[in-house]
Amino acid sequence: MNNSKAEIPRKRRFWQRDGFIGYMFILPSLIGFAAFVAYPLIVAIFYSFTEWDGLSPARFIGFENYTYMFTTDPSFPKAIKATFLYVLMTVPLTLVFGLLLAVMLNKNMFSVKVLRTLFYLPVVLPSVAALVLWKFVYDPDYGLINQLLAIFGIKGPKWLQSEDTALVSMAIVSIWGVGSMMIIFLSGLQSISAELYEAADVDGANGLQKFFKITIPMMSPVLFLQLITGLITAFQAFNPPQLLTNYGGVGGGPNYSTYLLAYSIYDKAFNGFKYGYAMAQVMVLFIIIMIFTAIVFRFSNAYVYYENND
Amino acid sequence: MSVLQSKKRRTFIGNLIRGIILWILSLAMILPLLWMITAALKSNSSIMSIPPEWIPKEFHWENFPEGLAAVSFWPRFVNTVFISAMCVIGQVLSCSVVGYGLARIRFAGRKFWFYLFVGSMMLPSMVGLIPVYRLWTALNALNTYWPLILPAFLGSPFYTFLIRQFLMGVPRSFDEAAKIDGAGHVRILFQIIMPIIKPAIITIVIMQFQASWNEYLSPLIYLIDGEKWTLSLAVASYSTLYAVEWNKFMATDLVYMLPTLILFFVAQKYFMQGLGSLTTAGLK
Repeated sequence: MNNSKAEIPRKRRFWQRDGFIGYMFILPSLIGFAAFVAYPLIVAIFYSFTEWDGLSPARFIGFENYTYMFTTDPSFPKAIKATFLYVLMTVPLTLVFGLLLAVMLNKNMFSVKVLRTLFYLPVVLPSVAALVLWKFVYDPDYGLINQLLAIFGIKGPKWLQSEDTALVSMAIVSIWGVGSMMIIFLSGLQSISAELYEAADVDGANGLQKFFKITIPMMSPVLFLQLITGLITAFQAFNPPQLLTNYGGVGGGPNYSTYLLAYSIYDKAFNGFKYGYAMAQVMVLFIIIMIFTAIVFRFSNAYVYYENND
Repeated sequence: MSVLQSKKRRTFIGNLIRGIILWILSLAMILPLLWMITAALKSNSSIMSIPPEWIPKEFHWENFPEGLAAVSFWPRFVNTVFISAMCVIGQVLSCSVVGYGLARIRFAGRKFWFYLFVGSMMLPSMVGLIPVYRLWTALNALNTYWPLILPAFLGSPFYTFLIRQFLMGVPRSFDEAAKIDGAGHVRILFQIIMPIIKPAIITIVIMQFQASWNEYLSPLIYLIDGEKWTLSLAVASYSTLYAVEWNKFMATDLVYMLPTLILFFVAQKYFMQGLGSLTTAGLK
């Protein structure tokens, strides 16, 4: 602090100055950052190297959690496999469907507002409510899908209760929530200048050309952001394995088929009281998400088009 | 036929085909919901009947009171409303204050903190799960509402970002006039800025209410006693039973969804335009 008293006579004390008041205003977020970001990150890294049941003091064991995870724990490879498959099935499909729906609904036509509302409706429902509804929809005997199939004389699979179909069934539920992508893409589409399309019309471009040469490049920043948030969310999906494939209080599906990493972390910590080991899995999940985000960012330089680079 | 006419005809047919496809798709999407409503009105035996009764022969309204009683709905409804209301108040207050500070007050490091808060949104929330849980355990706050409510008073980075971005578009002349009249930052924020940023605040109220009403993982790990449970826990634990009476359960689930559905239809404008454009606002 330089001595400003000599230059301007001030009556304000330091706590009346903006330099101090500013910090008072952002204090809630500073505390929040310290308590929910900085502290957990450091603690999680540290405890991932310990054996800790939450009662007795944590014992430092070096890389043992990690070696156990990658060499011995039978559930971990299944968790990784399920997680990657789930992300691969849900993220690209919701992006593509969301964009296609948005393009189709970005027209002035009869009943377009009702249609937008209907597609968005599943997103509004509480996650728990929607998931338990789907558990009923998938019920092998009384569920909607198998009853529909029964009309055509087809005996439907056991969906969530079978190892082969559980994960796919779960991914379909996630795609049901495509409305959240659609709504963001719609507002993105509405901000594309109509002049671009008019100019393309003058040049005789067809619908597909307009889609790939105007819509996609102009939407690329939104697509990019939605890809990143979609990945981060899908990698951490917890409610679906916990609720859809939960029978008698145990989630994760038949033979760990829907044992997503986020659920595994919860399971190891809160059912198994292996906090140290769970935090090692948190670190693995964290690193996976970071790698994917970095890859997407790396490619974004080449493919994402920003209108004004300031 | 002129070129213009044939083009018009093409657009008409195109729109018709598009409309039909979209209507079929959208009806398929809400089919589970419609089916849920009919299931909630069926008797337990007609739920199991094959071929299915698409429209119940007789309406079993008693599914609603019986289902609600089975999950002790109303006490848990009160709990959920209380937690949601506190979280909404907390987010609106803290995010307005922080957002104002970041947008309007000049202090050393404000850019740095802004980017740090925004960047912290990228941190996967699973990382905090166990450390924060252990922190609340150490503070003896397990089985209380503190872990669910207090964080809302510490400003979510996303809502703070929304308010800050909104304020960057509000001309400074509004607050400058008040400043000349001798108003401090607190008065400027609450008397002048808050009314201006009302659209952003309404958006936050809606999003946070939805988030709190839907929140499942936090109540699951923090609330132990059944009487402290939220509706999400009650509905979820009902669903994990082996033998579920689906008709009563769907009735309960329907009532649990109702507040969010009502909010959606009342505040549709904010959902369909506001939320989308605000989420992409940061890119422009």
